[in-house]
Amino acid sequence: MSTEPDDDERTDSAGASLTRRDLVKAVGSVGLVAGASAATVNVDLDDLWSDDPHYVGTDYGEYGASDVIHTTCGQCNTFCPIKVRIADDGADSGQYSSLVRKLAGNPYSFLTTQPFAQVPYGSDPEDVATGDLEGTGDVDTDRWSLSGGRICLKGQAGIQTAFDSYRVRKPMKRVGPRGSGEWKTVSWEQAISDIVEGDEELGHPGLRDLWGYAPQEAVMADWEAVQNGEMEKADFDEKWGDDLIDTDHPDLGPKANQIVDVGGFRRNFIRTRLWHQGLGSINSVHHAGTCGFSSVLGNVRSHDAPKKRQYPDIENCEYLLVWGTNPMVANKGPTWLAPKLTNAIADGMRMDVVDPRLSKTAEKAETWVPVEPGADGALALGMARWILEHDRHDREYLRNPSESAAETDGEPTWSDATHLVLVDEEAGPKARASDLGLVGADHELADDFVAVDADTGELGPVSEIETAVLDVSMTVDGTAVESVWSQYRDRVFEHTVAEYAEMAGVSVDRLAEIADEFTSHGKQAAIMAYRGPAKHTNGFYNTRAIATLQHLIGNYDWKGGQITPYAGYDTMSGRYELGQVPDGHSPWGIPLLRGGVNYEDTSLFERDDGYPAKRPWFPVAPPQATQELYGSAADEYPYGVEALFIRPYSNNHVMAVAGGDRIPDILGDPDTIPLVVASDTVIGETSKYADYILPEPTYLERWENFGTYPNKRLADEKISQPAVNVVPDARPFEDVLIDLWKELDLPGVGEGAIPDSDGKLWPLHQAEDFYLKLAANIAYSRDPVPDAGEDELRVFRESHEKGLGEAFDLDRWKQAVTAAEWPKVVTVLNRGGRFEEPVEDYDDRFAEYGHDYDYAERFPDSNAYDGEQMRYKLGSRVDFYSEVVPNGKHAYTGERFDPLPRVDDVEHYSGEVQASVTGEGDPDRPLRLINWKPRTQGMHRTTNSPWLRETRPENPVWINPRDAEERGIENGDEITVDAGRREVEGIAMVTGGIRPGVVGAMWGWGRSGDGATAETVDGTTRGPVEADGHTPYRFDEPMTEEAGLAKGRDAGFAINHLQPLDAELGDTGLSDLVGGSNAQYDAFVEVERR
Amino acid sequence: MGEHTKGRDGRPDDTIPPTPDADGSVARARANVYGLLAAALDGEVETLATALEDGTFARLGAELPAEIPTDALTRADLDAEALRVGYDNLFVVPGQHYVPPFASAHADDPSESFESDSPYHDEGAAGELLGDPAATMARLYARVGFEPDRGDGIPDHVAAELAFMSALCAREATLHRGDGDASEIETLRDLQRTVVSELGWLDAFDDAVAAEDTVEGTFAALTRLTRTFVAWDARDGVATDAESDRP
Repeated sequence: MSTEPDDDERTDSAGASLTRRDLVKAVGSVGLVAGASAATVNVDLDDLWSDDPHYVGTDYGEYGASDVIHTTCGQCNTFCPIKVRIADDGADSGQYSSLVRKLAGNPYSFLTTQPFAQVPYGSDPEDVATGDLEGTGDVDTDRWSLSGGRICLKGQAGIQTAFDSYRVRKPMKRVGPRGSGEWKTVSWEQAISDIVEGDEELGHPGLRDLWGYAPQEAVMADWEAVQNGEMEKADFDEKWGDDLIDTDHPDLGPKANQIVDVGGFRRNFIRTRLWHQGLGSINSVHHAGTCGFSSVLGNVRSHDAPKKRQYPDIENCEYLLVWGTNPMVANKGPTWLAPKLTNAIADGMRMDVVDPRLSKTAEKAETWVPVEPGADGALALGMARWILEHDRHDREYLRNPSESAAETDGEPTWSDATHLVLVDEEAGPKARASDLGLVGADHELADDFVAVDADTGELGPVSEIETAVLDVSMTVDGTAVESVWSQYRDRVFEHTVAEYAEMAGVSVDRLAEIADEFTSHGKQAAIMAYRGPAKHTNGFYNTRAIATLQHLIGNYDWKGGQITPYAGYDTMSGRYELGQVPDGHSPWGIPLLRGGVNYEDTSLFERDDGYPAKRPWFPVAPPQATQELYGSAADEYPYGVEALFIRPYSNNHVMAVAGGDRIPDILGDPDTIPLVVASDTVIGETSKYADYILPEPTYLERWENFGTYPNKRLADEKISQPAVNVVPDARPFEDVLIDLWKELDLPGVGEGAIPDSDGKLWPLHQAEDFYLKLAANIAYSRDPVPDAGEDELRVFRESHEKGLGEAFDLDRWKQAVTAAEWPKVVTVLNRGGRFEEPVEDYDDRFAEYGHDYDYAERFPDSNAYDGEQMRYKLGSRVDFYSEVVPNGKHAYTGERFDPLPRVDDVEHYSGEVQASVTGEGDPDRPLRLINWKPRTQGMHRTTNSPWLRETRPENPVWINPRDAEERGIENGDEITVDAGRREVEGIAMVTGGIRPGVVGAMWGWGRSGDGATAETVDGTTRGPVEADGHTPYRFDEPMTEEAGLAKGRDAGFAINHLQPLDAELGDTGLSDLVGGSNAQYDAFVEVERR
Repeated sequence: MGEHTKGRDGRPDDTIPPTPDADGSVARARANVYGLLAAALDGEVETLATALEDGTFARLGAELPAEIPTDALTRADLDAEALRVGYDNLFVVPGQHYVPPFASAHADDPSESFESDSPYHDEGAAGELLGDPAATMARLYARVGFEPDRGDGIPDHVAAELAFMSALCAREATLHRGDGDASEIETLRDLQRTVVSELGWLDAFDDAVAAEDTVEGTFAALTRLTRTFVAWDARDGVATDAESDRP
């Protein structure tokens, strides 16, 4: 501007005629209006006369523990422990809380200090912050210290998430129709009042009218009376009409179920306490359907004890097969997985990677196996056939029928291979000892599985058998039984190795090579599989086929094998029972997303004449198929949604759901969902259709307790705490819900809400009342942590005062726990959680051996290992055959799901084939479109970061040279991607790093929310944000390494909006009915040069 | 500043040399204008509506013969609700009409605290909250113990900055009226000059508002008025005696 008046003619002319005296005259009466603003401000000039310099140089970067808060990253769902270095600048003014100078890994955590060792838990935060801890190297000589741990580029860019000028800063209420983009700000009081009482202006109902609840037992007892003719239907209607969704179908549950939460984060607070027990609604939904849900379920159904994911003990693994995931970049731990993997490879581990494209992990592999997308099950079953034919499975392991037999054999786990199945019974359950008359129904072994003893040839309860027979097919007193192994082998032998290889698009030799390698290292071989095989409608079966490969070598819990250390510390119980709500409601009824319920068991089955059901059911998966939410609401199937609460920071469904481009039509119609409330940090693609957007703190400003995935060796428990306070009016959604629930007089909040271990009740008025108790539970779990001393208590106060400013109320925080607990809570918070040390006497040993030493490996008293096995074990049965799965039926055809792994086509709900695995298939367009997580973006939620957009300004379309040549496409060409129902423009990246016949791109681009889009407003078009436009040069030609300038937030195209819609439903993408996932790799496209 | 510009374009400069502001009336007037602009740009729509209705802005705009659309400053047909929606969608709602009302969003260079050399800012379309300009303003406030109650807690919010100027001018007026130490007044005016020099971003801000507020135009006129007034103030209002002692 022209405060240098000479530079600007406008100013020159502007100022020319107004004199100071003119001003006095012109302004005359202004004082009446403006007086209030100026008169109340006190200006103290005293400081101006002091000798202190006004500025203190801060060019050097020394800081102490009072400048640091340890918390958890939320840029992606790995949730790394991090250290927030708070900037001093301006903080002393008290005008706003703070800036963040830098984000780094938390040096107390063994996750973010790989490949080195973490600092001992008892280390003084001051020593750690200043890099003065003994054993961590000397900054002066090493130019390095362990004061900050490892963090990825996405994590560092978290500063730009918190300090984004597009943050929502006030509660907002829409002015025009939904999605019109016009808002007005309202006070928190008004927002809460409108949501509770309804609002005539927008014409939406309030929660008070919408909510209704009745206990299941009482309702269903009356319903039975109605069926028996003991109660008049009219009386039933009269009695329960206000509380039930539909008195003709009481099994739908209470009206509370029509109030739906979509969030994901903060499950234990918002879902367990507030939604389930406070509101009595069964519908609190997270992101699973758009995530690797079918992978999780495929693993869950393959193991008796909880095991959702496949991870190897990388440090000791000799052969690692990475399958459809990219751990150098993703899969919940690249920060530590990447250094571990590269070190292991350097130490001689062989890694092969199955993936249709050459990922960052595949680049480092011995062999890249570009499988046909969705044919992973065929590849896995082909490997199984090769292994069986070459007798490479661990027969000794497989013949252990029970825990006791396994124990004798030194095996931590055992399989169901020898267990017998009642093959003639519907749903084919496994035989129990009492079923076959081996023991009486009351015998303690009545429920034991049954096998044939290899020593005696007799049937027996498995716990009494040392070695069992694998191949069994017989009749016992007229009851036909077969062993699981026999069934599995028959399944595997349905196709030849050559047929499987053909389906998978992999050569027989290559298939044999990896099967051979996988079975050449004893227990020190493992598979790491995740999203790739699973995000198809056959994803569940694909995952089952991969998981069961590991049953063949029995590598569970062995050093170098498959690991499952869900090791943590108490969070929800211990000192305080945070999951308990005195006089809370019990949620019941059919979940909106129809998971975990058999359609056939509901009253809708009869109403709708059986098959096909109107929409899919997910009988053997939890009700988390989020892709079904909006279509279900529109179809009111099984019932309508009256109020939807969304927290799109982690659930931006318009972008994340395959076919999410259809959501706005549904969400934008108030007749479909009368009340939509979003709690968001920005106006995103989903939240822009809400009636209210409530400003939400980012992850750097609020509480959370994220788990660590079982790809670690030791126990940990992370806690997120507010480190800065950027937007003064943002309120954590917990606090907002507490206010709402108080207005509605619902249980679980206010006075007497949380019982402690002595039964004393504590209040819940704000998030701290919950999370500080959670920190106390962590602090006292196992051996309690030491008390924070005076210095640590001071550091805690100073750092939080610096970071949070006036938002930090130390005395109020202290009220959340007892005086005795507080110093332990501070110990936990000062370290961002609890992190198990690798060995005993760690601090002494650390001082002696330093940070660059593998304590877990080299000391016999390791907390990671137990001899040749992992200390934290799965220790359970592993299942080739799932009894649970065939309890569910396909809601369109009524066919039972398969208890075994299988090769399956990718199908629409109606059974129409989208992508054939078993046959040739006949897609409408020739190229299969896949997608992957970018290396440089966490989720859609990180595309606001200019740093990250600079690294990859958009998402080019990878295409194999063979396919490119056919189409006359060269690298960098502008192209059109035609997916049939939609067409987008993109840039070609011609590379041999993708399988011929497959094209793909990163997701996370093509945004239209979060400040991204060009808009025509009042007839004036504001063009799309240009490619920075600073220079005429192009910076982002694919496959060149030029540094980029950030394009706009809308750069690239939205990959999920190219996915096919389900042919039967038409409003969302395809779903895996067994595993619950939304299919995201099954579009067929044509690509043309523009 | 100043001397080399005299008679730059040969136009006669008929500005009357300023006289010492003996009774503080000039400082008081400046304080009032800054205070009013601060209120209006802080979303105090009742104040804005009153000032539109009683012609205060129009009178001031008329005295500043820049291209200030005074029509838009005499609107009596916009009630507080309409102005509220306009204000919110321009300056609060980070949506399709959004113009961040704080300096950091319009800065050319990223904040040092972001530790990046990359020039990523699109004026008004990207950027950060609480960047370097915020830190600078917070330090200026701290020098005199000023705690802005305007600007949504954002130190470089236009309303906070204008309120600060208002407070400084008000203090100056008080000193003039009393037996203010001349050096104290000069120090105060030094500080005002520093603050005004931090207001250069109002140009980019005004351009961005003009591009968004194309139909009613009230806020576009208001930011144009603000920009122009601050420019005037930089040259004449807080000018040193040497600068303002022009022919």
